[in-house]
Amino acid sequence: MARWFDRFRLRLRSLFRGAAADASLRRELQLHLDEQIDEYVAAGMTRVEAREAALREFGPIARIEEECRDTRRVNVLSNLAQDLRYTLRSLRRQPLLVLAATVSIAVAVGANTTIFSLASGLLFATPSAKDPDRLVRIRVNGNSHVSYRQWQALEESQALGGLAGYQIEAEVNWRGPESSVTLIPLIVTANFFDVLGTPLAMGRGFTASEASAERHPDIAVISHGFWQRRLGGDPAVVGRTLMFNGRPYTVLGVLPSDYRALPGYGTAPEVYLPLTQELMPDLNVPRAATVELFGRLRDDQTMGQGRAALTWAGHNVRALLNDPKFGDVTQFSPAGGVKRMGDFREVGAFFALLLIAVCLVLAIACANVAGLLLARSTVRRREIAVRVALGASRSRLVQQLLTEGLWLALFGTLGGLLLMFGLMQLIGRISLPLPIPIEIAARIDGRLLAYSLALLALTTIFCALAPALQATRPSLVPALKQELWRFTHRRWTLRGVLVVGQVTVALVLLLTAMLFVRNLGLAASADPGFDVGRTVVAQVTFVEGRYTQETREAFLRASIERLNALPDVELATFSHSVPLTIRSGMTTGADLRLADTGESFRAQYEVNRVGPGYFSVMGIRLIRGRDFTVNDRSGSPTVVVINEEFATRHFAGLDPVGRQILLPGAEEKAYPAEIIGIVGNSRHRTIGESQKAAMYEPFLQRGNPGRLVHLIVRTRTDPASAVRDVRQTISEMDPSAAVDVQPMRSALAFAFLPSRVGAAVLGALGALGLALAMVGLYAVVSYAVSRRTAEIGIRVALGATRAAILRLVLSDAGILAGCGIGLGLVLAAMVTEPLAMFLVTGLSASDPISFAAAALLLVLVSLAATWIPARRATRIDPVVALRDE
Amino acid sequence: MGKPADLIQGTLDLLILKTIALEPRHGWAIAKRIQQMSRDVLQVTQGSLYPALHRLEQQGWIKAQSGRTATGRDAKFYALTAAGRKQLAKELESWDRLSGAIQLVVREAE
Repeated sequence: MARWFDRFRLRLRSLFRGAAADASLRRELQLHLDEQIDEYVAAGMTRVEAREAALREFGPIARIEEECRDTRRVNVLSNLAQDLRYTLRSLRRQPLLVLAATVSIAVAVGANTTIFSLASGLLFATPSAKDPDRLVRIRVNGNSHVSYRQWQALEESQALGGLAGYQIEAEVNWRGPESSVTLIPLIVTANFFDVLGTPLAMGRGFTASEASAERHPDIAVISHGFWQRRLGGDPAVVGRTLMFNGRPYTVLGVLPSDYRALPGYGTAPEVYLPLTQELMPDLNVPRAATVELFGRLRDDQTMGQGRAALTWAGHNVRALLNDPKFGDVTQFSPAGGVKRMGDFREVGAFFALLLIAVCLVLAIACANVAGLLLARSTVRRREIAVRVALGASRSRLVQQLLTEGLWLALFGTLGGLLLMFGLMQLIGRISLPLPIPIEIAARIDGRLLAYSLALLALTTIFCALAPALQATRPSLVPALKQELWRFTHRRWTLRGVLVVGQVTVALVLLLTAMLFVRNLGLAASADPGFDVGRTVVAQVTFVEGRYTQETREAFLRASIERLNALPDVELATFSHSVPLTIRSGMTTGADLRLADTGESFRAQYEVNRVGPGYFSVMGIRLIRGRDFTVNDRSGSPTVVVINEEFATRHFAGLDPVGRQILLPGAEEKAYPAEIIGIVGNSRHRTIGESQKAAMYEPFLQRGNPGRLVHLIVRTRTDPASAVRDVRQTISEMDPSAAVDVQPMRSALAFAFLPSRVGAAVLGALGALGLALAMVGLYAVVSYAVSRRTAEIGIRVALGATRAAILRLVLSDAGILAGCGIGLGLVLAAMVTEPLAMFLVTGLSASDPISFAAAALLLVLVSLAATWIPARRATRIDPVVALRDE
Repeated sequence: MGKPADLIQGTLDLLILKTIALEPRHGWAIAKRIQQMSRDVLQVTQGSLYPALHRLEQQGWIKAQSGRTATGRDAKFYALTAAGRKQLAKELESWDRLSGAIQLVVREAE
């Protein structure tokens, strides 16, 4: 024990009193020398001779000192401190080098950390809640939503510590200071804030008792963003009255600014309203799809126990709900996890791709810095050679050169983080065609810090290791002799190899960018299965309570008549949803049964409720049977139309037209419907989706209590020119309705968002990688030209023409760039295959046009980067060049 | 003065510990003493002596104290610690074993 303590004390002493320990060592060695001299003098030498002999015998004092220091293990630390000081001092004399390296690294690290922050904020953010680890996301019977009664029954069973629900698809009209605004609130069950347990920034959240739907609560909680943007940060906002759907709501509280909402993906709903009949008219429909469930485990419950308890509770309320199949818990997963996102695979893969891309950009940037350091170490050859001769060990020198890289990497990383904050601000200002604001705050959390440290370490090693090893290569004698290499030229220097690597990586990046740009072009012109070029969509939101079922139908029919009378309009119809928009309808999973055979099957399909003439207006081909007519209305026999995919999936080989099928009813019982037609396939949710089965129901027959309908108009001419007339016509029919009219193509912006984001981000990264690689190529060629000044001077003196000199320089650069491009093409062909998952069908990951375009672009830009130094080479004056001799 | 014999790896520690077992000595005196005792066969260079001393000090086997040399200079004297004494005994024992074993092999081979 004591020995350990002693040793520890000694090390501490040598760390903190390094100078004192060094002085003591020096005295000790000096004494040794003095004693030796005394002895030689006693043996008869003169004092001068004795001194020389003793010194000779002693050997390199510096090395002995160094070795003694080494035995005090803290040396690594004190060396580091010394190196940090020394290299900082020497870097201060090289402001240009520091600037170039810092900017290079900062740009790459900025891109890197921005992508990381986005991924971390969008995909992996834990919802703001008390004990978020105990929150679970729940699905019952495979459905995303349950009805209000089903939620009530499950919650009253107290199977979990708390069970709440929310709904993020309904809209409300908020009467703002200037005009009415349509918002998508988070409509939540009364116990939402009780189960979540989020502290509010101001005021409070509502409690289950005051917010229960039966009491028709008119209270609201608002987001920080809503408070700031729309209410001007009113300090007296708590208690203020806001008008939603024409009803006054009292603001109870404001959420904190860094609140991460439960639905994830960075969505930040602006208003939280308790679920009421007024907001969700189908509140009392037994099987309506009203809320998504989440729950809190009791403190003594594990995930497994919670799931079992909820399943048990679900089965127990079957009788109460009169639903013998209710209660199978099909999903029970952590709320913060990525499982909540059905399409996590794609989104996650996209971010993985972006992270790889930004790391490649970083590698190119590091190669630039490595190139700079290599050039510098050539200049420092003599200094290094002298230090080796004086007894510095190679590892010690490498350590010092690495420290230099560490400084540069540190500056760059800090600059990169600053850049990230700027970029995140800019990204926050981009308004996406999304109905709910997306808020991702850039915050320095443990995750980002760890990532930045990892980047710092990688950058240091990438930037400095190769130059350090090269600079301290054991062949030092030529350097000491100050041998000149003025007339020797090596093409394959380490720098040359680095440039080839840069060009290779840049080509892969560029190709990826090209693929995504091509993808955007193809997606924009891809056939969604319906006509986007000649249709106009009007989204109409009625004021609550303005229409009954009957008067609304009358309004719709009258509107269609008026619209059909417009000169530009060929045909008009209405529908509940519009494919490829945000309101692209519902996905239903149900057990269907054929009435005649009694055969039952499980089906998952898209549902839309559409008016007569919908298929003609949308340009969806009717394959068999008939379209809906105005006579398919309540009271007449129930009918549906299915798409081709539905028919092939579930009626393989049989003719579905004319068959009766039993559909699940929102009310108690399944009801029969006749399949009257089959229509062509089309896209429903995304442009690149795999084909979905779909079922269409007559809008007039199935009723529709919502306030929102779409009127769709097929135009004879350019749809943009019809927009004004359509809006005017509808507004004249009902001046109180909120009407949003746009050509179908722009209404689909949402569907193209992924392609646009992909093309924009990867395009930017490709350009960044290209620019950095070209800086590298330019630097190497410039350097080579300056090194070869004398050689070129001699060539010119011996009669070489300008063209010959130009060829000389260009061919060197051409070989470097050419190797890079060739390697890049080979590498790209091997690694781009997985990109296919992001691309529209019809665009292969080995698309020859993209390959050719990327290679051509790189050739042209390389030529441009080489041109300037090549021109400089042709202007070398042999007299001046050779006078340097 | 002939070329000094290379020290067998690890025996320097033993020699130093043994040399200061009787009385504390400073660096030069330790080197001198080893040279004299081995009749000039073993010469410890400063390059190996001082790192070894510092290492032994770090190990806690010897400790430094200040003293005055025969020539009247202030110097760092090294003395054995209790742990050092134990270590010396251990090293002596393993040296005996090792040299005895080598003897056996070498004589046998003849």
